[in-house]
Amino acid sequence: MSVNGPESREVKAGGTARRPEIPGAVRHVFSRVDTESLSLIIALAILVIAIASQTDKFFLPRNLLNIGQNVSVLGLVAVGETIVILAGALDISVGSIAGVASVTAAIALQHTSLAGGGVAAGLMVGLAFGVANGLVVTVLRVNPVIATLATFAAFRGIAFLLAPGGKPVGVSNEGFINIGVGRIFDTDTFPGIPVSLLLLIGVAAAVEVMLRYTDFGRSIYAMGGNPAAARLAGISLNRMRIAIYGSSGALAGLAGIVVTARVTAGEPASGTQGLELQAITAVLLGGAALTGGKGSVIATMLAVLLVGTLTDGMNLLGIQTFYQDVAQGLLLITAVAIGQYRAARAERARTRTG
Amino acid sequence: MGENGAGKSTLLRILSGDYQPDQGWLTLAGHRLTFASPRQARQSGIRVIYQEAEIIPGVDVAENIYAGELPRRGPFIDRGRLDAQVREAIKEYGFGTVLPAHADGDKLSPAQRQLVEILRALKSGVKVLALDEPTSSLTDEQVESLFVLMRRLRSEGVAIVYVSHRMREMLQIADRIAVLRDGRLVAVRPVKETSEGEIVRLMVGRDLTEVLERTPSASSRVVLRVRDLNSDWHRGISFEIKAGEVLGFAGLVGAGRTELAKVVFGDYRRNSGTIEVDGRVVDIRHPSQAIAAGIGLAPEDRKGDGLVLIRSVQENVALAILRRLSRLRFIRAALERRVVREYVDRLRIRTPSMGQQVAKLSGGNQQKVVLARWLAAHPKVLILDEPTRGIDVGAKAEIYRLINELANEGIGIMLISSELPEILGLADRVLVMQKGRITGELSAAEATEEKVLELAMLDQLTVESETA
Repeated sequence: MSVNGPESREVKAGGTARRPEIPGAVRHVFSRVDTESLSLIIALAILVIAIASQTDKFFLPRNLLNIGQNVSVLGLVAVGETIVILAGALDISVGSIAGVASVTAAIALQHTSLAGGGVAAGLMVGLAFGVANGLVVTVLRVNPVIATLATFAAFRGIAFLLAPGGKPVGVSNEGFINIGVGRIFDTDTFPGIPVSLLLLIGVAAAVEVMLRYTDFGRSIYAMGGNPAAARLAGISLNRMRIAIYGSSGALAGLAGIVVTARVTAGEPASGTQGLELQAITAVLLGGAALTGGKGSVIATMLAVLLVGTLTDGMNLLGIQTFYQDVAQGLLLITAVAIGQYRAARAERARTRTG
Repeated sequence: MGENGAGKSTLLRILSGDYQPDQGWLTLAGHRLTFASPRQARQSGIRVIYQEAEIIPGVDVAENIYAGELPRRGPFIDRGRLDAQVREAIKEYGFGTVLPAHADGDKLSPAQRQLVEILRALKSGVKVLALDEPTSSLTDEQVESLFVLMRRLRSEGVAIVYVSHRMREMLQIADRIAVLRDGRLVAVRPVKETSEGEIVRLMVGRDLTEVLERTPSASSRVVLRVRDLNSDWHRGISFEIKAGEVLGFAGLVGAGRTELAKVVFGDYRRNSGTIEVDGRVVDIRHPSQAIAAGIGLAPEDRKGDGLVLIRSVQENVALAILRRLSRLRFIRAALERRVVREYVDRLRIRTPSMGQQVAKLSGGNQQKVVLARWLAAHPKVLILDEPTRGIDVGAKAEIYRLINELANEGIGIMLISSELPEILGLADRVLVMQKGRITGELSAAEATEEKVLELAMLDQLTVESETA
């Protein structure tokens, strides 16, 4: 994925070319746009070196593929979370929605024995649960954090209720399973590219284009940046919120489908638990503002790669999952702390001109 | 003095050691100074007090004044000594009645906060005291006592840098006036040898007369008709605006004018009554419906309600016309750039680029961004709520000219303003509001400050007996 995304180039060109009289501005634009992605890449490089110096398994094709497959689930959820956070909200229920979708897809496969049936069921359930979140937030006016904290618990419960006896639902459809474990371009020497990774790249690119070039995307940034102003410019915040939670839910549903295909079973919890934490961490680590209006899918994807590599490294090094949980928590705090620091610096730069 | 964006605040920041000069230096009593930090500036006796005084909430006045150097006894604050010191300081400068030593920091009025800051400065032996717009949140009485204090400090040998927009105060308190424009020192004049007119000319770089000249252009076609409108704030509001007419809304703060704008625009609820745009009844329940009907609103609270500060000029200007700029929901980039460029040029928005964050523009340019958004939407009716609040003289003049121009092009303008000269100079007709009702209508010819004020402050009882 390109580091120097179109946005960074655009901003640099616009921000520096016409104001040579303020040299500080050059540095400022750099610090705002480039270092966010740049620092992620540096962090990733350091992490890779650190892991590779401890184990020679890291660069094995099999391991790299594992990372690719693992980040695809997290990535899909994080793309949805990016949309929600850009709009100034939060979705804690994404992991639970993925669990429900995983079970539903498996059940649908058992009944229809069509790969498409499983995919459609997972997506529809994800969309429906996401829209339900949106309705709780808009119609019942529950604060987004509380609303999705509640559905985080409720949806997980539904996932267990749907799975007969609360147990995984087996899946055997070849075509469907390929979504999770399939490879293309594999040769004797090259193990191939995971289908799920390609799916993520496609989805991430589509959402980035949507955010940047459509009126819907523009409205998301506007309502995240200042909801009152967006409303007075004619944007219907309630309709937007329902669409945004719907999108996030559908993407979580897609992640659930990938989980089912990977482990060949509809899993109510395993594989989707804790996704919300990782996704929110990735979005914020990518430099998105928790208050909304600032961030991009590309930056989130870099952060997803970082989180995925860190998890893989800890697994390779045989670090106990308890320590991994502690590390996850610390990473989220780090991400927010960095965000606060950047915001404070931007604020100072702003008062400078005022 | 100087317009917004002339560089006054930046200059103070350099003085306080907050920013570093690219070139040049400061001298204080013949010694050349360079500050690496605000602390160094403070130590050498320079103290800058900003508009928003820095007060620690939850802590009383005494501790605020001595923050960082509280007298101690062992690990505890020596409350007795602190109180004695503070009381003496407050009494010495004659604030015994206005500044209780034990008042809580966050319960202080803006005036009291400033006093705390000034006392803080005095305590540390200030030589140069700089005040940035100190009177913007003070009452006349408080301004007077501030001036008493300033005169006293001056006689004690403290040099005072006083930054303000208020011409009258400047002429009253200053010995010399320095005028900044676009980051340059344009002139320094002794107060006794200058005049208000000269200072304004120096600030703006041109004469300000003729600015408020309005060429009436009202046609007979009614573009906005409001009938018997009732809301939580209003009772029985009826009025109409013709194409090309500027209808002024005067009244005291709290008369319900801003709320009326928001009710008409669909942001606040309308309980009953009808709204017609261009002869057609429209049921407006959301701003999007108002916009679709051809109404635009530049709100009073520019930063809170008008702008998405962290996004670019381009995105802010295009925000209300995204659909029109899109094909199959994709924004046509070239069209967007062309439209935005057109209005940025027309309004002469001073910005380094279309991609510039709106937060980084001056107040006047921010207001122009809001106006550009609505002009781009080609409204039939444009509601302007305090369009010149908090912006400098130069930008004001440009906005007056623009309002005149827009009306002449056939837009009906609903102008809400608390600055009477603005209303009297621009409006073709003036409606006066009080407590959610319209209490009178005056033609441009008969409207005077006295008449407007009389209607605005009319005893509520007489109104009620008239309507009963």
